[in-house]
Amino acid sequence: MPYIRGDMSKAILGVDIGGTFTDFALISQGEVRVFKTSSTPDDPARAVITGLQELDAPPDADISHGSTVATNALLERKGARTALLVTEGFEDMLEIGRQNRPALYDFGVERPPQLVPPELRIGVRERLDSQGSAVIPLTAGDAGRIAQQVRESGAEAVAVSLLFSFRNPEHERLLMEALSRLENGAYLSVSSDLLPEYREYERTSTVVVNAYVGPPMARYLQRLADALGPRLRIMHSGGGSLSAARASQEPVRTLLSGPAGGVVGAFLVAAQAGFPQAITFDMGGTSTDVSLCPGQVQETTSTQIGGYPTRMPTIDIHTVGAGGGSIARVDPGGALLVGPQSAGADPGPACYGRGEQVTVTDANLVLGRMDVGRFLDGRMTLDTDRSRFYLEKLASDLGQDVVTTAEGVLRVANATMERALRAISLERGFDPRRFTLLPFGGAGPMHACHLAEGLGMKRVLVPPHPGVLSALGAALADVVKDYSRTLLLQESQVDADVLRDAFRPMEQQAREDLAREGFNRSQLQLQRFLDLRYVGQSYELTVPCPPLGARVSQAAARRFHRAHRQRYGHSDPSQPTEVVAARLKAIGPVEKPDIAPAAEGAQDPTPAVVDERPVVFNGRPVPTRCYDRSLLTPGNAFAGPALVLQMDSTTVIPPGWSARVDGYRNLILELSHA
Amino acid sequence: MPDPISLQVFHNLFSSVAEEMGVALGRSAFSVNIKERQDYSCALFDPQARMVAQAAHIPVHLGSMPASVEAALERLALSPGDVVALNDPYMGGTHLPDITLVAPVFAATEGGTTLVGFVANRGHHADIGGMTPGSLPLSTELLQEGLIIPPIKLARRGRLNAEVVDLLCRNSRTPNDRRGDIAAQLAACRVGERRLQDIVARYGWEETREHMDGLLDYSERLTRAAIRGMPDGEFSFTDHLEGDGFTDDPLPIRATVRVNGDEMEVDFTGTASQTDGCVNAPFAISLSAVLYVVRCIAGEQVPANQGVMRPVAVSAPVGSLVNPTPPHAVAGGNVETSQRIVDALMGALAQAMPGLIPAASQGTMNNILVGGRHPSGEGFAYYETIAGGMGARPDKDGLSGVHTHMTNTLNTPIEALELQFPMRVRRYALRRGSGGQGAFRGGDGIVREMEFLAPATVTLLTERRENAPYGLQGGAPGAPGENILYRNGVEEERLPSKVTFRAEPGDVLVLLTPGGGGWGAA
Repeated sequence: MPYIRGDMSKAILGVDIGGTFTDFALISQGEVRVFKTSSTPDDPARAVITGLQELDAPPDADISHGSTVATNALLERKGARTALLVTEGFEDMLEIGRQNRPALYDFGVERPPQLVPPELRIGVRERLDSQGSAVIPLTAGDAGRIAQQVRESGAEAVAVSLLFSFRNPEHERLLMEALSRLENGAYLSVSSDLLPEYREYERTSTVVVNAYVGPPMARYLQRLADALGPRLRIMHSGGGSLSAARASQEPVRTLLSGPAGGVVGAFLVAAQAGFPQAITFDMGGTSTDVSLCPGQVQETTSTQIGGYPTRMPTIDIHTVGAGGGSIARVDPGGALLVGPQSAGADPGPACYGRGEQVTVTDANLVLGRMDVGRFLDGRMTLDTDRSRFYLEKLASDLGQDVVTTAEGVLRVANATMERALRAISLERGFDPRRFTLLPFGGAGPMHACHLAEGLGMKRVLVPPHPGVLSALGAALADVVKDYSRTLLLQESQVDADVLRDAFRPMEQQAREDLAREGFNRSQLQLQRFLDLRYVGQSYELTVPCPPLGARVSQAAARRFHRAHRQRYGHSDPSQPTEVVAARLKAIGPVEKPDIAPAAEGAQDPTPAVVDERPVVFNGRPVPTRCYDRSLLTPGNAFAGPALVLQMDSTTVIPPGWSARVDGYRNLILELSHA
Repeated sequence: MPDPISLQVFHNLFSSVAEEMGVALGRSAFSVNIKERQDYSCALFDPQARMVAQAAHIPVHLGSMPASVEAALERLALSPGDVVALNDPYMGGTHLPDITLVAPVFAATEGGTTLVGFVANRGHHADIGGMTPGSLPLSTELLQEGLIIPPIKLARRGRLNAEVVDLLCRNSRTPNDRRGDIAAQLAACRVGERRLQDIVARYGWEETREHMDGLLDYSERLTRAAIRGMPDGEFSFTDHLEGDGFTDDPLPIRATVRVNGDEMEVDFTGTASQTDGCVNAPFAISLSAVLYVVRCIAGEQVPANQGVMRPVAVSAPVGSLVNPTPPHAVAGGNVETSQRIVDALMGALAQAMPGLIPAASQGTMNNILVGGRHPSGEGFAYYETIAGGMGARPDKDGLSGVHTHMTNTLNTPIEALELQFPMRVRRYALRRGSGGQGAFRGGDGIVREMEFLAPATVTLLTERRENAPYGLQGGAPGAPGENILYRNGVEEERLPSKVTFRAEPGDVLVLLTPGGGGWGAA
């Protein structure tokens, strides 16, 4: 069913390959069509090809997809046998990490397993000082011997990260040349190429993760390209897309590909509906991702995936361990806990027929907030009696009745998610009350209104197909490449010439890279940014680079002071600043459909009513109308309590909330009482 | 009484107050020590100065923060907008570099403007004056350790007393860092204050207060349940510090743990008297060490608040190493003695619960303090603690190269260190084979080699250089640490565990940190 209309010259297909379903969003000839099929984990390309046929996609359609191949290789520890070349004396850098332990009061604390075993940590006799001058030089001969050692080790992938290589890449270049001369050479990942930034642990971790997931990603993309040809793009964590070739070289950029597609899609829907100040809320089975979009998608460069730090531009997404499958239990102190343990897909919530513990999904079901009949188009049946049976047990442990317990499970789960929403808004200096909450994922629309109320948010927007936003985001994502260069210069040392010299090679590289992806100079958008900090501080803020005129460094400092005050509540314009890095973002814009909303028609939603049944709100059952989402038309308006049912999601509209359908078929929910 | 459901809701709310303070402090602080190494902590208190929530920061800070709030209250009448600063180890502090800020929080309630709690945060400032750079000197009285700040008002009714900040900065070798760090601590107080006020505005004071009480009761119940799981009886263990920097005589720390039903008594009778050197641990630190161990046994998921301590009674003889009196020196109590108190407690508990308690971890923080001047003439102060081996657990090996027990600070990235200080790190690797053998092996310590590129004054405050971390149930002890100086990079000079010396360009300092003890016969 079309829900976004518009005109575009070329068709684009967005694909999101999940564990259970592969989702498609095809933008072609002025409309968007969506489709879902079962995933084929043994050969993901098969599901993609099936979808292409079902949707009858034009043969020249570009395909952009969110890939979890790199993520899964990392989390399931199925990456390549990887060697690490580091400055001699620092072979254990990754094992030592930052010296800390992830849990404070736990005798059994563990660190994530090492990706490089001790015998593959190879120390290179060389050393640069903090200005990049060689204290111990490296020769081509030394590099050749090291390469030989790597060959004999049998490593499939090699990561190279030498101290202060961001100041002077010469030693890393020598090693790279020697390694590329080897026959059947290993997959190469080099820090001065991938991430020329300071802080050796985080940099080295990024380079190693890239090497570790490189070979499986390259193989996967090769197979997909064989089947689909060269029109394939991959979503990256920063919300843009990469060519398959680049994704093969820099797979670490795709680790949050799926969630990033979701945020891009969700933000686009929100902005199109006129609410660009949005918080996206993606509630899945085991975890929930939230992201703040104050008029645009926000980026960060510091993330951890599975305990491995990576420093790559990534949409600022905060994840908490609460989802539909989170397990509820009573602890020895008599309190109700929900999550982070999850029933996952196996055994799944009690209502799936095998699990024996109450989950958030079971609580929703018993309260009448789910649609038993049409869950996943009837592909799965839900056993309400089973949910009730285990909830009764939990209730007696708590000394409460079933309804109070079920609502309690939801309140505790919401409290955890609320904490995540507070973290991404208040901690960063934004007031959530000014934002619209945009739920997606299967469970998001069930919890959104209650969550919004808890944070004082007055509006919730549920997109027409909450289940396929990642695919839509992938289709609409621009081609984005990021470049950076460490400067570490005091404000007084920075002028227009210095910055021009820093940006010029990056801009040249960007033009070449995007030309290869089919964008000419006139299409290209280049955005310059600077990382600044107070002298002596060790974390920086990124601000847009002012025009390169006479007083550029003062102008940049002013932007920094403002950003500092926004983020931390204070700033000190009398303190000197320094410029840590120059960053370039190169954007090859993907044509967006020119979208016109449908005219809003009758308010009366009665034709869409399919049922009326009791649903529990605030401790008692209330007669609640159920609407079929596909029968609601633009202009329809109604008041809560109500449920809106669709194949992959149920929207819960509590008493006190009103709903209307806009011209894009979004459901706009607003709190009507104070 | 709050119901079991809203308890979790408020647990989340109160915890996020402490966490948001931590984010504000960590991100906007200036010094490498607070920002890179995250040597700071934040907590929330109820109007009776009982700790309600803390963020997961540094264990040794958190157990001792309630004393700071109590001291502030005892000395001063507080009004809205006031912020108290203190570092006096004998009045709510621990050692002088740890400056604690305490702010009362007032909110509009049904009954007018009401005191609804306190927020507090503590940062370790890399230099606060005293005999040697870094302010953890080998001192013989507190006055030698730096500027002493009894509880005083840094801000009065919302107005900063800038002169106090000037005084404080003038007494540090690195005044600019101090100014920036204090500003960050103040900003964190404001964040905490605002968030608690938001909660009171949203839920009302009555409900908020009920849940403050409820959460303390809840943690108490969980802790009692954990203690009930321990066998009744009396268990004692003695471990030693290896001198105070002036004598090498071992200083015994004796912990006796008496378990009776769901209550526990910890008694430090038999511990050495306070010493002339700097390793005395103010009582708040000893309490911290006990709280740490109790929390480990009760489990990480127990909300971190003062309810945990209700079933636990702690006594220490006045005038002993673990409960000293003024003017005794305390610089190393927080960072070294606290670790040995934990070792003594764990040794006692291992008798009660042999299948649960790990062998001794490295038992030191390997403090290194370096101060001098950049070629520009500007002073610098560098502080680092170096990780070591974790003791083997009853079911698995100990971790290698990791901070254990009372600390969890990060390292300074080598590239940040060398950009900022005239030093070069030549080696930073695991010290293979240093963990104790056993059915499960102790974790390995670390080798760290540093070359000085400019003249500097260096202080080492370390432990476990002779008295090795113990193994348990037949496991071998971990290798003790070593401190070695190579003058001009060649002439070897063995250094004691606690020492101050002058380094010249070209000198190389090598620290080998201890391995953890093994568990079970190999």
